[in-house]
Amino acid sequence: MNRSLFGRLWPNVTAVVLFIGFVFPVYWMFATAFKPTGDIISEDPVWFPTDITFEHFGTAIDVDHFWTYVTNSLVVTFCAVGLALVVALAGSFALARMRFKGRRGFIIGFMLAQMAPWEVMIIAMYMIVRDASMLNSLVPLTIFYMMMILPFTILTLRGFVAAVPRELEEAAMVDGCTRSQAFRKVILPLLAPGLMATSLFGFITAWNEFPLVLVLNKEAGSQTLPLWLSSFQTAFGDDWGATMAASSLFAVPILILFVFLQRRAVSGLTAGAVKG
Amino acid sequence: MTVQTERPPSGPADVRKTAGAGEPGGPTPRAASRAGAFAPYLLLLPACAATVLLLGWPLLKDVLLSFQNLNMAQLIQHVTEWNGVDNYKDVLTGEDFWRVTLRSILFTAANVVLIMILGALVGLLLARLGRRMRVTLLVGLVLAWAMPVVAATTVYQWLFAQRFGVVNWVLDKLGWHSMADYSWTSSQLSTFFVVTVLIVWQSIPFVAINLYAATTTIPDELYEAAALDGAGAWQSFTTVTLPFLRPFLYATTFLEIIWVFKAFVQVFTINGGGPDRLTEILPVYAYIEGVGNQHYGMGAAIAVLTILILLVISAYYLRIVLKQENEEEAGL
Amino acid sequence: MKRKLISAIGIAGMMVSIAACGGGEDTNDKAGADGYAGQTLTVWVMDGSSPDQWQKDVTAAFEKKTKAKVKFEIQQWNGIQQKLTTALSEENPPDVFEIGNTQTPAYAKTGGLADLAGLKSEIGADWTDSLNNSSVFDGKQYAAPWYFANRVVIYNKKVWADAGIKELPKTRDEFYADLKQIGEKTDAEPIYLPGQNWYHFVGLTVGEGTELVKKDGDKYVSNLADPKVAAAMQTYKKFQALSKAPKDKDESTPQQSEVFAKGRTGAFIGMGWEAGTAIQANPEIEKEIGYFTIPGATADKPEGVFLGGSNLAVAAGSKKQELAQEFLKIALSDQFEGQLAKLNGVIPNKESLQTNLTGNAAAEAAAPAAAGGGTTPLIPEWAAVENAPNPIKTYMTAVLNGKSPAAAAEQVEDEFNKRLAQQQ
Repeated sequence: MNRSLFGRLWPNVTAVVLFIGFVFPVYWMFATAFKPTGDIISEDPVWFPTDITFEHFGTAIDVDHFWTYVTNSLVVTFCAVGLALVVALAGSFALARMRFKGRRGFIIGFMLAQMAPWEVMIIAMYMIVRDASMLNSLVPLTIFYMMMILPFTILTLRGFVAAVPRELEEAAMVDGCTRSQAFRKVILPLLAPGLMATSLFGFITAWNEFPLVLVLNKEAGSQTLPLWLSSFQTAFGDDWGATMAASSLFAVPILILFVFLQRRAVSGLTAGAVKG
Repeated sequence: MTVQTERPPSGPADVRKTAGAGEPGGPTPRAASRAGAFAPYLLLLPACAATVLLLGWPLLKDVLLSFQNLNMAQLIQHVTEWNGVDNYKDVLTGEDFWRVTLRSILFTAANVVLIMILGALVGLLLARLGRRMRVTLLVGLVLAWAMPVVAATTVYQWLFAQRFGVVNWVLDKLGWHSMADYSWTSSQLSTFFVVTVLIVWQSIPFVAINLYAATTTIPDELYEAAALDGAGAWQSFTTVTLPFLRPFLYATTFLEIIWVFKAFVQVFTINGGGPDRLTEILPVYAYIEGVGNQHYGMGAAIAVLTILILLVISAYYLRIVLKQENEEEAGL
Repeated sequence: MKRKLISAIGIAGMMVSIAACGGGEDTNDKAGADGYAGQTLTVWVMDGSSPDQWQKDVTAAFEKKTKAKVKFEIQQWNGIQQKLTTALSEENPPDVFEIGNTQTPAYAKTGGLADLAGLKSEIGADWTDSLNNSSVFDGKQYAAPWYFANRVVIYNKKVWADAGIKELPKTRDEFYADLKQIGEKTDAEPIYLPGQNWYHFVGLTVGEGTELVKKDGDKYVSNLADPKVAAAMQTYKKFQALSKAPKDKDESTPQQSEVFAKGRTGAFIGMGWEAGTAIQANPEIEKEIGYFTIPGATADKPEGVFLGGSNLAVAAGSKKQELAQEFLKIALSDQFEGQLAKLNGVIPNKESLQTNLTGNAAAEAAAPAAAGGGTTPLIPEWAAVENAPNPIKTYMTAVLNGKSPAAAAEQVEDEFNKRLAQQQ
């Protein structure tokens, strides 16, 4: 009896401890952002902010060009992810559904591409962009970000495409659809959750990138949010309230997207699996 | 998040396998197949073109730069000064490179071991929990997973701040008073500690959630069969769960290795490779020598060597994948 | 409290003057009055070095004269060399930029800076020679001296009064005793001194009569093992121990003036204009701010200081060479050079303009020490030393964390020498 109580208890206790461990940094970021400065630099931490202030958010966005950074980040991220999805969908369909010479070679190639350590190639990329007179533009950023997420997108989508039962496609073709019609009308809708799940990681990568934009775009008009965030420590000194407010603003879109897409993607997947 | 798997989270690969097994060959119309002989290549063309142009070109450029004497003056004046293998000779004969390489390997190993063990334990815990508790823990994991790296490193700097950092406060209250105003960036070990906590915290959710998802696909019959054979909890774990998860564990381990090996942003942002360059891992070393010290040719040489090391590390992983693909090819 | 004003001429006295004949003729004869309309000149200035008012007035004068626009872009010192190097290689580099005096020779050697011989003969005849040194490389004028300054103690009068201190310290020991007293009698931090304020450390080595590097044949090598350097570092350490500032950060992370602005710090060692940043962060601090010369070992000689300074240079790759020179002529004109000196309390590039410093408390505090000031060697190899991770900063942090100066010197010397010998 005792033992079984213990047996039921310890997983739950461990889970609670783990939950706190994983959530605390995120919680502390938000909590600090909303606390008045006096509570932030108090000798004993104020665990739960009681008088909420929006002052730090004011400081954080009261930076020249803030809205330009937001727009640039959104444009670059969405374009990069969108492009990657389109390019990857075509490629992954071939890899998942067709048999052809060199198929394995392509897969290995994309796997290698997925490992590329982009940070160490910064100066080479800089010189290419510089010599093409494309500095201070969002175009090279977008296409490089697209490339950073492309291999992963292809390889992951391949799995999702393969998971769509072949019978459905064939049934459509028997009903008189061409292969591309079958793709558009049958496979694509079934792929929606997969596309979402995949795009999630693309969003995160593109939204986060800063070593490249730091060297490519020196003009404020073409910079993005990660630069704004990483410049905070110098610009705001030890103003942790403002820094955490900035971090919160930076993280929130991804957190929302993640919670939203993760659920839909997983539920879509299980639904597909059951039907299949 | 740059952790990537060749399989999407909930294991559609398994679905794929059953689907494939259901209809071997398939009645593909012959005419369509002939007309479509080029179709796969056409479909792959944009992706391949992008890869060659956007990855291959910088890579080639990097290799070319590694054979040049490229410093401030040459960069500013756009001068190309070939210097043969001088950069490589300098890098490989100096002790710095080897020290950093060894450090990178140890750093990666320590992190990956922690991530895999803790991640797997959390994953198995998820499978054991009741529904409500599981959802709660999942929410926590997803939040940590979703934190953008730049934001996460900033938050960790605040958690471990010397003054008013909550970690120092807790340690002080727990009786470790010398930690009250401790500077975590002051030594090699403590800096690595912060970076490791950050990386492990960020990576466990990926391993745990995916492992949990994989365990849900283990057919119950296998456990029932094991139980019939009189297997206890531990035995059914070692004879059913573990073998079933093995391919997944292999793949994840190697992805984590590659990911940790490349963890530039975390190491660079927390302490810039300091103190005294003691926490530089290979990508950071390449960046500091190349961009930071404005020794661009040298940086390119280190970059090329870093890429080679990455290739060696991933060769084993690729072999496993190749084998898998062979099996799949047979089924396609 | 009140310090004797050492006349502005006095500051210059030590700075080896020439200034024989007045060369400040006006050059208002501009060719093509509308020739520059529609163009925009990009000017990089460092954070805090030129006040808004100055930028506004210069812009107005420039736009009036040339019909062109000017765009000031504020840069941070951290990472500036990496940014500047790539920028100079680009198609559209900043046309005019501020560059630190210790960094100028390296950039002059790269060919990234335009030759300003014409400008020098036109407006620079009476530039103070010693200030112009860093701008000249291989006999050519690669930049124009802009402003110079040395550090002072900026203190919070209220905190010092609360601690019951009536007289300002005259010697290093008195200074230390006062700070201790602040620590004991108030809850303020006596001094904010981060572990890596290496400019102040250079000043202390100057005070000890030594340098961070020495000549070995025709090369420069580390001199960190010199016992005098160790003595300077011990002084630094003694004062740093009174501060809660991080031992592994420099004065700009966080900005020390912003820490000071919170009013809970007794003093910090900084440039006079940093008080302005503090006032911007907290206007109420203005009435509490005072300045005094960093006290030396004995009352008759102030502490050694680092003679910091900045030049203005024109990018060789700029397509607006003429316009850039027009800008320099305005920015460095007596009017605006004088205005900058007045607003920021910095030493202007001509002796004749030093009257602008009269009555500026920060400048008056800085003046006595300037005579005993020094810089790092003005050689192209030096810039590499300042790249992060700067081995001098590493040395400082190592000593502050308990290493002996000798051991710390040994630890960083390889890196230091490697950088001094770095292939160009």
